[in-house]
Amino acid sequence: MDKDYIHIILADDDEDDRMLFTDAFGELRINTKVNTFNDGVELMDYLNTPDAILPNVLFLDLNMPKKNGIECLYEIKQNSRFNDIAIAIFSTSSSEEHIEETFVQGANIYIKKPSDFTTLKKVLSDVVTINWQYHTSGLNRDNFLLRL
Amino acid sequence: MKIKRIYKSTMFLKSIFVVSIFAIFFISAVTYKHINILNNSSKWVNHSYDVNLELERLFSYLKDSETGQRGFLITKDSSFLKPYIESKEKIIKSFALVKVYTKSNPDQEQNIRKLEFYLSKKQNYLSASMQLAHTKPVTDHALKEKLVIGKITMDSIRIQINEMILLEKNLLKNREISYTDTIKVTPVFVYITLLITLVLISISYVRISKDLDKLKMSNNSLAVMNESNNLAEIVGNFGSWQLNVDSKEYTFSDNSYRLLGFQPQSFFASQENFLNHIHTEDRSSFSTANEQMLLDGYLAPFTYRIIREDKKVRYFRTTARIVTNKSGDEILIGTTSDVTDEVLVSLSLEQQNLELEASNKELSAFNYVASHDLQEPLRKIQTFVSRLSDKEYNNLSQSGKEFMGRINNSVERMRILIDDLLQYSRTTKIEKVFEESDLNELLENAKSDTQQTIDEKKAIIQSEKLPQMMVIPFQIQQLFANLIGNSLKYSKDSVAPQIKITCSKVIAEEEDQVPKNTKEKFYKITFIDNGIGFEQEYAEKIFILFNRLHNKNEYAGTGIGLAICKKIVENHKGFIFAAAKPDVGATFTIYLPE
Repeated sequence: MDKDYIHIILADDDEDDRMLFTDAFGELRINTKVNTFNDGVELMDYLNTPDAILPNVLFLDLNMPKKNGIECLYEIKQNSRFNDIAIAIFSTSSSEEHIEETFVQGANIYIKKPSDFTTLKKVLSDVVTINWQYHTSGLNRDNFLLRL
Repeated sequence: MKIKRIYKSTMFLKSIFVVSIFAIFFISAVTYKHINILNNSSKWVNHSYDVNLELERLFSYLKDSETGQRGFLITKDSSFLKPYIESKEKIIKSFALVKVYTKSNPDQEQNIRKLEFYLSKKQNYLSASMQLAHTKPVTDHALKEKLVIGKITMDSIRIQINEMILLEKNLLKNREISYTDTIKVTPVFVYITLLITLVLISISYVRISKDLDKLKMSNNSLAVMNESNNLAEIVGNFGSWQLNVDSKEYTFSDNSYRLLGFQPQSFFASQENFLNHIHTEDRSSFSTANEQMLLDGYLAPFTYRIIREDKKVRYFRTTARIVTNKSGDEILIGTTSDVTDEVLVSLSLEQQNLELEASNKELSAFNYVASHDLQEPLRKIQTFVSRLSDKEYNNLSQSGKEFMGRINNSVERMRILIDDLLQYSRTTKIEKVFEESDLNELLENAKSDTQQTIDEKKAIIQSEKLPQMMVIPFQIQQLFANLIGNSLKYSKDSVAPQIKITCSKVIAEEEDQVPKNTKEKFYKITFIDNGIGFEQEYAEKIFILFNRLHNKNEYAGTGIGLAICKKIVENHKGFIFAAAKPDVGATFTIYLPE
């Protein structure tokens, strides 16, 4: 987008993951602003505030208490206000059902959380720099699961 | 055949009986007639003799009167008149008698009239000549004339009487002849009839005898069979019953009572009495089935509960059918057997199955969740170790760096192990969704999963065109990925790995390896590599879970990969086989049903 920094939001209930995420972006040379939320309810509450600054990319963990990633995804896709948000599913699970479900619900990409910090940085960098306008028009199942 | 059937029918016996009765009546009628004829015959004989006798007597009396007259004529003695007068009377009487005797015969009646005429003529001339003799001598002309005429008349009388006697004799002869004729025929007739009757009676006797024998034999074998049936019921734990549809009479076999826990025939056999022993919950369905049975004439095996005399609940199964016996009665025949054991076993099996299923589901879930949740901390460890490495690498001592390396290795191994376990648990998940998939696509996906290693080792993968099939896509993809991964992993150090994938359609019975001997069609897909291979004797072992041919220092691995492949192939009702030559390469053959 035309802003001078990329606004990124992560919703993840795991404290370590949130820390790693923020640190990773911290070490990247991209101009980013990162916000994190602890669970789905917090996330939706923020997004639904009338004058909230919407993210360019939203990273959604699937397993969250109160409201999980899939429910959030569903809600976000219902609301046309969020149409410009690129949604990346960021999860430890690589189960077919999750991949299928999130693809059908309209997520843009599915990322399995890497177990290596360097890889994490690379992944995040790749995702964030994709030109989403071109990417989302394909809705190609093959491109959905991020492959390293 | 038809004659035999007539012979065997009961109508035959009855008709023989009737015919014999009639024959007897006929014989008695004929005999009666015969006796009558005899009677008549003797009467006529007597009659004829009477007539002839009387005629002779008459003639004799006439002669007496003539003699009297002659005597008087000669002697003129009046004592000769006495016989003359006496005989006159006798003549009248005798003639009257003859007249009576011959009344029936018209010929004789004619003769009688003639005789009467001559008699009266003779009498006249006799008395006329007697008159003349009173006054005239014997030589008198008129007297002589009268005497002559008298003599001629006497001759006529004699002739007439002879004629009459002859006629009577002829009559007698004729009667005799006809009598003889009748007599001759009748006995023959009677004897023939008698013979026929005797024959008929003999036949009936033989038939009845045979029937009786047959009956006896039937009864004997029936008694034996009955006993054998009773024993069979005891051994087989079932009882039988009968219902006469018309008379509504029930018969329960002895063992039927025993099955209910009672002594044989200890209560009156009836529907209500039996219903009393049926479990209250099953009573209405039993009654409905019973009514339907009476309408259809058939009861398909129907299971229900009864309460035995000792208060125990047993399961009974009854089946029944209508048969029609030789007398035309409709009998409903039924068998009831105690199937409690079978039912209980089946119930307990069902129960066990449910429990097993639940247990399996739990285990599966547990497996999945455990693996998944175990991954989390591991990932953290790895990530932070890697951060530590990156950030603090220069601050670490030599041993510190080494320790970090080992930590990383162990953690990586554990992660792969859990990954594989997770994979394994996924392949055993119960809901399997088959989709029409292009195996070429799945192969491509599998290749890209391992793309990094392919590039590193500069591997070449050639494949023939694979078919479209109904499969579980992610599992087949996993299968291909694992096999490719293995070939890459176990490649020779100095040689670039080459993997060749072939595909063909085969028939089950033509493939030795496939245990099925049918005409089913399979797709045979082979993965041939040029890696280090293995000893053929391990060809089956390698598919066993956690089984490895190398230790973890030589080649990394968890021993789960091929077990997963085997599970996947089994999920698709197919087969997988391995063959190899050490240092040459390995071939993995997959059979998937069409």
